[in-house]
Amino acid sequence: METHETNHSSQHGGAIHLPAPTAWPIVLAFGATLILAGVVTSGYVSILGAVLLISGCVGWFRQVLPHEAHEDVPVEAEEITIASTRTHVTRIEISDEHRAHLPVETYPILSGIKGGIAGGIAMIFPAMLYGLVTQHSIWYPVNLLGGAGVAHWTNPTTAEIASFHLSALIIATIIHILGSVLVGLLYGAMLPMFPRHPIVLGGIVAPLLWTGVMHSSLGVINPALDARISWPWFVVSQVAFGLVAGLVVVRQGKIKTGQSMPFVLRMGVEASGMYSDKEDRH
Amino acid sequence: MADSTYPIPGAVEAPSRRWSQAAVLEWLNSWVTTVDHKKLGILYIVYAIFFLLVGGAEAIAIRIQLIQPNMHFLSPQVFNRIFTMHGTTMVFLFGMTYIFGFANYLIPLMIGARDMAFPRLNALSFWLTFFGGILLYYSFIGGGGLYGAGNAPDVMWWAYAPLTERAFSPGHAPDYWALSLIVTGFGTIGASINVISTAFCMRCKGMTLMRLPLLVWVMTVASGLALITITPLTAAQVMLLIDRYLGGHFFDTQAGGSAMIWAHFFWIFGHPEVYVLVLPAFAIANEVIPVFSRKAMFGYPAVVASSVAIAFVSLGVWAHHMFTIGMTSVGNAFFVLSTELVGIPTAIKIFNWLATMWGGKIRFATPMLFCTAFVIQFLLAGLTGIILSIAPWNWQLHNSYFVIAHFHYILVGAIAFCIFGGIYYWYPKVTGRMLSEKLGKWHFWLFVIGFHITFDVMHIPGILGMPRSIYTYEADRGWGTLNMIVSIGGIIQAIAVLIFAWNLISSYFKGKIAGNDPWDAWTLEWSTPSPPPVYNFATDPVVTSRRPLWDLKHPDDPDWHYE
Repeated sequence: METHETNHSSQHGGAIHLPAPTAWPIVLAFGATLILAGVVTSGYVSILGAVLLISGCVGWFRQVLPHEAHEDVPVEAEEITIASTRTHVTRIEISDEHRAHLPVETYPILSGIKGGIAGGIAMIFPAMLYGLVTQHSIWYPVNLLGGAGVAHWTNPTTAEIASFHLSALIIATIIHILGSVLVGLLYGAMLPMFPRHPIVLGGIVAPLLWTGVMHSSLGVINPALDARISWPWFVVSQVAFGLVAGLVVVRQGKIKTGQSMPFVLRMGVEASGMYSDKEDRH
Repeated sequence: MADSTYPIPGAVEAPSRRWSQAAVLEWLNSWVTTVDHKKLGILYIVYAIFFLLVGGAEAIAIRIQLIQPNMHFLSPQVFNRIFTMHGTTMVFLFGMTYIFGFANYLIPLMIGARDMAFPRLNALSFWLTFFGGILLYYSFIGGGGLYGAGNAPDVMWWAYAPLTERAFSPGHAPDYWALSLIVTGFGTIGASINVISTAFCMRCKGMTLMRLPLLVWVMTVASGLALITITPLTAAQVMLLIDRYLGGHFFDTQAGGSAMIWAHFFWIFGHPEVYVLVLPAFAIANEVIPVFSRKAMFGYPAVVASSVAIAFVSLGVWAHHMFTIGMTSVGNAFFVLSTELVGIPTAIKIFNWLATMWGGKIRFATPMLFCTAFVIQFLLAGLTGIILSIAPWNWQLHNSYFVIAHFHYILVGAIAFCIFGGIYYWYPKVTGRMLSEKLGKWHFWLFVIGFHITFDVMHIPGILGMPRSIYTYEADRGWGTLNMIVSIGGIIQAIAVLIFAWNLISSYFKGKIAGNDPWDAWTLEWSTPSPPPVYNFATDPVVTSRRPLWDLKHPDDPDWHYE
């Protein structure tokens, strides 16, 4: 530590000037209190308080005017040792990937739609396999999905469902395409949350989410399908969808997010050249 | 991670202190005439602890009276007097004085100054506070004397007018309340001015505002808030005295006055007052938690900014104490929202403390135990505060024991815990002796258990409709068992405080020698001998970072590299 002079105290040789002790503040405070205490006791108490207050003021002023009273306190030579029980400095370690929680790169949302289309095609095969294995007909799952479009079906038999119906095929195809694209879109929207693991998201997380949604709502949307669906096979189809969708997404490549861009650019403020300047510096 | 055997550097067994009787008068004179900030700080803290014991004894009297239905331990009037004096004592004589105790003792040492900016004003401020307290308790002697509790104030600590007008409160009880608090209020104003001036004008070389220890920052903010809010209270008290003695009609509704004026004046002081009291508690936690977590305080600028934000926002929330007076919906909505807004900066603080502890090598010595419990309890107090800040819930719970439980969660669970933590932390610096860790742990665990038994349970009779301030209650209300539990918790707390008082006294004479820096801390006060010499620093220090002692201890990796 270095030495320098500050404030009202000062150092001269081996002594330090400090304000001298004084009784006048206590006299003044006591006087002020007695003035107010007289309100609830006696006027004489207030008079005594006023006398003390004036005495305190006079005594105080005489101590500070024209020169402030002070005392010289001798400095005692005492060696101060500054030491720590800690042998080394511990700092918070910040890894290079510290800001990876905010992804600097992610998959485009369009990749989710492409993945959805690919996954939709892929899941046809386990669905048909299910029809063949359980009902010896590839049309069984098609008719279950498209059953809502077959007007005369009220309580169809298993044989009717296992046979070919054009209208059911058309309805099932439309539902399947729309469903696959929408799920793919949802997948693409969720990717920024799991940018490193698109196949995990597509193969496990999204199928489970989608199966949960379908399980809870299918009874309203398509009661016939709900009564006959095999959920284990449904999950297998969804996983097939997800794995293929994930693989397609991985092949699409990543795009940069706005995290590494200057604030003004992310806000849309016109600042041409700023981004490339920053890139150049790196 | 609790480490009860934490080795304290430099702490050794020491012979008992012995005083010769011949020196007692000289010793007394040195304290009465002192203008030294350290002695005045000690006087403030001793004064605060004394009134903590007095206010605590009053709390125990209240709890004995309420321990079961239809008790006659206290008469209704004495109960009202004790109830009023408990609140007044704890807020004005304990709460408002501990602040200036810590501020006086620590701020000059922390900023490398030799004294406060106005040493004589400092002495005047303390003695005004002292005599204000004496005047308040002198009221027990007049009137019916001690047995009937004399003229002690019986108007509750909020002293709502016009119930405090002569027509409803003959005698001198409201006068003692107003007069004594005017005197202590003057002391508060003087002390606040001194703290602010010292923090801004007396800093040593290199101590920029953004290097001020957080305690100094927060104490300064609290002092500014006290300065702003004590003024309307004083004005209201003068107006009340004018009504009572000079025929004024400020609060006399029969003569065109308004009862609402008092409510507004009082609560525009009363709510920020909570922050005046709790901000210095934060200040203590800001020093203790980093040192015992062995990490720098997380988010220094955020802590400073949130403290200032709390002070500002708290000035705009007073009417949440008045939801039941019949404000407009827009008025209610404004004060609901402004009250909720305080939650943001306070939440920032909680995250700062948690982030400071996160990953730290925590030493659960007694100061840290108290501050850790503080963080948890303050969070819980904030949650019940949210309930009370919602106007419709407030209408249901207003004036119930739920409200009492809530604000005691802050006043005891946050403030008292931090004060205890602060005393355990700085006692070695002030006296040169360590407080007993063993007694400290007893104090902590009994107090934390008693606290939760008392104030957790107290919420329930409030929800069941038990009003505050009642002298007794009937057995058929279903509150008896709950009140019994609450009272037992209060007694456990009282035992803990007595252990603490014993620890303070016995350790002063027989405690281990502390050394200069027993906690391996970072702020400047620990670079002085324990206790520090009257001039604080033989040479004025120069600092280069927020943790000057860290820099001296670790010259190879000083803090200013990272600021």
